[in-house]
Amino acid sequence: MPESLGRHGKAKSLQNRRRWSERRFALALMTPALIVTLFVVFVPLFYALYLSFHKAEIVVVGGRGGLLAQFVGFKNYLYFLKDSRFWYSVRVTSYFTVVSLLIEMVAGVGVALVLNQEFFGRGIVRTVFILPWAVPTVVNARMWGLIFEPHAYGALNGLLQALHILGPTETINFLAPIPIFRNVPLVGKVTSWLGATQGINWLIVGDTWKVLPVVALLTLAGLQTIPRELYEAAEVDGANAWQRFWLITLPRLRPVLVVILVYRTMELFRVFDIIYILMAYTIPVLAIETFRQAFVYGLFGKGAAIAFLIGMFILLIAFIYIRAIYVEEE
Amino acid sequence: MTSNIRRHKSKRKILSRVMLYALVVLILVWTLAPFTWLFITSISTQAKLNQIPIQWLPDHPTFEHYAAMFNPANPTGALFLAALRNSLVVASTTTILCLVFGVLAAYALARFTFPAKNMLIMGMLSTRLLPTIALVVPFYVIIVGYIDPIFPMFDTRRNLIILYTSFIIGLVIWIMRGYFATIPRELEDAAMVDGCTRLQALTHVILPLSVPGLVTTGLLAFLLAWDEFLLALIFTRTPNAYTLPYFVFIVGSSQYYQSPAAVAAGGFLAALPPVILAFIFQRRLVSGLMAGAIKG
Repeated sequence: MPESLGRHGKAKSLQNRRRWSERRFALALMTPALIVTLFVVFVPLFYALYLSFHKAEIVVVGGRGGLLAQFVGFKNYLYFLKDSRFWYSVRVTSYFTVVSLLIEMVAGVGVALVLNQEFFGRGIVRTVFILPWAVPTVVNARMWGLIFEPHAYGALNGLLQALHILGPTETINFLAPIPIFRNVPLVGKVTSWLGATQGINWLIVGDTWKVLPVVALLTLAGLQTIPRELYEAAEVDGANAWQRFWLITLPRLRPVLVVILVYRTMELFRVFDIIYILMAYTIPVLAIETFRQAFVYGLFGKGAAIAFLIGMFILLIAFIYIRAIYVEEE
Repeated sequence: MTSNIRRHKSKRKILSRVMLYALVVLILVWTLAPFTWLFITSISTQAKLNQIPIQWLPDHPTFEHYAAMFNPANPTGALFLAALRNSLVVASTTTILCLVFGVLAAYALARFTFPAKNMLIMGMLSTRLLPTIALVVPFYVIIVGYIDPIFPMFDTRRNLIILYTSFIIGLVIWIMRGYFATIPRELEDAAMVDGCTRLQALTHVILPLSVPGLVTTGLLAFLLAWDEFLLALIFTRTPNAYTLPYFVFIVGSSQYYQSPAAVAAGGFLAALPPVILAFIFQRRLVSGLMAGAIKG
């Protein structure tokens, strides 16, 4: 090191060296995680893009597998863009997502408001309330399958009969693909275009059961950050409960609600388990359609094309989501 | 006059208390009734289940379906025990891998500055958000078409462990990075002045302080791995590797179908470990979910 740099230069180069050793250390710490995410997530994502431009089939000859890929350009994408069944999938997925979101958000905020009150046994109720979230999705699907059993010994049919809502010999086939509002002139047309059926509505009930705790408990955590003094001041000013909710609670909850809303949109748009288990291929949401193209028909190129479209759509929402939650340091 | 107002007020207060308790009961019924029905079904005989009008409580509860699940000589029991073993191995190994690799990366991201750091954070978070369905097609082609002929991966537990780890590690990194950021940097500086290396400062000073965060994050990782269905559906076929969700699926589907009671018993058993964990760690899980979903 030249003498002329002096003390200042030495300190700077020491700092520089320290920074480089820190960087090397940081990189070493991250390497395993980076390898896992790079090779198991990002490489397959680009491979999906590659496959989506090919007519791809897996051929197994004498125990040795191989991929037969033939470049077809945008043909797979064009196939779906022109296919009315694909657009039906988009609509029915959107219907499932939007209706679920509405119910989850309204019920979630309602439950959170109740659980935020003071009442006897509040701690236990809050603990018990988390139960549905812990039940695995597959078990949840099977459980609602038992409840929606179309015969008189199904729980919901039995309940409706016991309450005399249904006659003693009447039963409902809850999961039947009957269009809703089919006798209402204009509305019926819109709902059947959307793929809204009685079956999908009851599935939404079952799916909501499982996720309501997350929505409500996250909302509750948000409620608890609102200072009590605000409500006291509003009460002194003569605001009633309804006004307090609209003028204090809702605006203060907005950031939390936005995050829950975007997060749930991403989760709902990919719905697969409950629909696959209870309805097989009769409600062709996008995830089901992807699965069918690739693993039932063996058309991996077409499957990859839908998968890539779903992935891109969700990454777009994810980008909004990350922007909403990620506060950059310094 | 004033006493009249007071009486009016106290009447309204009683009414609102009654309303509140009615709502609480409603919430409890909505939460507990479906799961209770699952349990009732599981301890019922076929004759009871077929009765009309519906029998809410069985006259003769039977635990034969549970006994069958744990009996290796029973065909369904053998399938169940294999699935239980696979689920335990896959979920716990995935949790350990996620914690070890995730904690190291989270620490680096929380403590050091380097180029492209924000991009890395967002990249890793997006792996958590990317739907499995978007990746199963390339996974399948790569694993079945290329890797499997050389190194057996299809229908193995290690395959599930690798895939689950890659999907869950993003969440672990995200939560732990937030957690490490709350621990003062001075603690490591002091440890390093005392002669610790950087790695020792992490393992001896920071990690012991992070135990609550590690428990929460580990629980979330375990529950996610325990719950996963789509990848298990595509990549497992035999008792070698299939997990409990896959078992609950096939035991209720036509080829293995036995009775609603057997399906309910299997489902109830598969739900029991996560439900118990959730009850014990309720507070932690909510704060973990909060950190995972909201805080950055």
